Amino acid sequence: MTETRIQCPRELNQETGRQLFDDVHAKKISGSLVLDLSGTESLDSLGAAWLVALADLARARNAGFECEGQQGQVADYIGLIGPGLNSEAEPPAESPGVLEQVGDTSLSIVGEVKEFYHFLVDAVYWTALAPLEGRGFRWNSFIDEINEMGARALRITFLMNFLLGLIIAMLSAVQLEQFGASIYVADLVMIAFARELAAIMTAVVVSARTGAAIAAELATMKVQEEIDALKGMGLNVSQFLVAPKVLALALVLPILTGLGMIAGVLGGSVWGLVVLGFQSDVWLNQTMMAADMGDIFQGLFKAVIFAIIIALVGCHNGLRVTGGARGVGLMTTRAVVMDIFFIVFVDMIFAAIFYYVL
Amino acid sequence: MSGNHTENGAIIHVKDLVAKYGDTTVLDHVTFDVARGNIFVILGASGCGKTTLLKHMTGLIPAASGVIEYGGKNIAGMDEEELALMQRGIGIAFQSSGLFNSMTVGENVALPLVEYGEVDPRLIDSIVRLKLSLVGLANAQHKMPGELSGGMRKRAGLARAIALDPPIVFFDEPSAGLDPIMASGLDELVLNLKALLGITFVIVTHELDSIRKVADQVLMLDKGVVIFTGTVEEAENSEHDRVRQFFERRPDEFMTQRNI
Repeated sequence: MTETRIQCPRELNQETGRQLFDDVHAKKISGSLVLDLSGTESLDSLGAAWLVALADLARARNAGFECEGQQGQVADYIGLIGPGLNSEAEPPAESPGVLEQVGDTSLSIVGEVKEFYHFLVDAVYWTALAPLEGRGFRWNSFIDEINEMGARALRITFLMNFLLGLIIAMLSAVQLEQFGASIYVADLVMIAFARELAAIMTAVVVSARTGAAIAAELATMKVQEEIDALKGMGLNVSQFLVAPKVLALALVLPILTGLGMIAGVLGGSVWGLVVLGFQSDVWLNQTMMAADMGDIFQGLFKAVIFAIIIALVGCHNGLRVTGGARGVGLMTTRAVVMDIFFIVFVDMIFAAIFYYVL
Repeated sequence: MSGNHTENGAIIHVKDLVAKYGDTTVLDHVTFDVARGNIFVILGASGCGKTTLLKHMTGLIPAASGVIEYGGKNIAGMDEEELALMQRGIGIAFQSSGLFNSMTVGENVALPLVEYGEVDPRLIDSIVRLKLSLVGLANAQHKMPGELSGGMRKRAGLARAIALDPPIVFFDEPSAGLDPIMASGLDELVLNLKALLGITFVIVTHELDSIRKVADQVLMLDKGVVIFTGTVEEAENSEHDRVRQFFERRPDEFMTQRNI
């Protein structure tokens, strides 16, 4: 069997290693590549890295690779890096084909739906039924959540609804003025906020605020094995973490929405009184005439449904996290995106029901 | 007290270091030298300030007062750039490995090499494989950190710490959470790296077996105060009660009382 024998320099470092590599690269290797290290007295780690590169080169050309004649410290070093020299770099995992990807995606969707179903059953039991059976509800964390999700979100939801009220009044005033019907801006703002806008706007703000917080909190707890610790103590995750959040948000979001309706109407009134120049009693009268309890209850009812969606989607995504910091970020993003999608989707279904049925 | 190394042999010189978290003094006038090419072990009970000392020495937390010198330069007087330059010359392997979860193990090790851009790009893959095979992880290059066991992650963290061939490597609790076989393998590795590459190690640990095997110098902390510096033999024969207690593995009295 033939071999290509290369004499290695006295000192093998970054520079001499590169020369050696370039020399061998230009040569034709027949049989196997043998590095003669008998004259090498020192080897640093960059030099050693060039040896690994040479071993790869030999493998790439289907030649054998051997080191010979190494002594003392150099021999120790070569012994230590042996696995790196002799093993081929593991190829990165191949990316699957289109069919495989479709299969993977469908399976993961089915898996997630199943997982969500189990989670939902558990959550509904511990939120709605278990407290009635006297199986314990964590009142302390329920109160904490009300403070965190409700009281502390008050200013931002109020402000957003107020600004949206202003915008709606501005937009509609331009159209209605053409017919000399500017006073109906009051009706429009009142009805829009009662039926639709307060609920949607508040839910979107709360999903970005609270939904993200829920997902991030549970995801971090999962990553730091706190969830496992709970389960290991025989405690139920839904009872401990999910139920207080769902109930608190279901209570708090309609309240925020109700205040959002007031804020929106106030925003519209500012425009009506200051810019359109209506008398305050005229505007108030018109607004009160447009206000209908049915519309307001519709908005509040939707808020309860939205609250349950936000809390459950946040918890579900948080508990599904895998990996570390990156996983937490991904799941938090996913939770907010799913929240907003489901809020709008469910709202559309409600709109259809109210249009055709009621 | 012994183990006073001469100024010129010291690679790190710490004098009167005081560290505080709020009003609590965590390190109280700590003074010692780390000799070049030695394995310097910091030991002590849990909560005595070992990790805090390590974080101060690596410039991750600024000291309340005192001197930490690398080659005669105090890190307290360094600006951000100088500090970054100093930190390039040291490798840190963290207790919980500190690997980036979003990158493969190989990319983790390659990160400092790519970012500093001082080595031949053709060589980066070889260096990564070399370092990984040094720590016995030749096959883990394309794995994600999440797929590795705790011990493997720790070794991958060490591989990243030595990627740039730093003259000094700090290693926080190398054997915590490892089985004895893996732990003694890691000890061997540290000894090999010291012998072959002349790396100075500063290791925080409380594994007695590991200390006996690798330590050239030992520093013992108790409640933020240095109670001993010297060699392992000197430590084992020390008259200091706390040091003896540590090496004889005697529990504190309040713990034995509770067991009665």
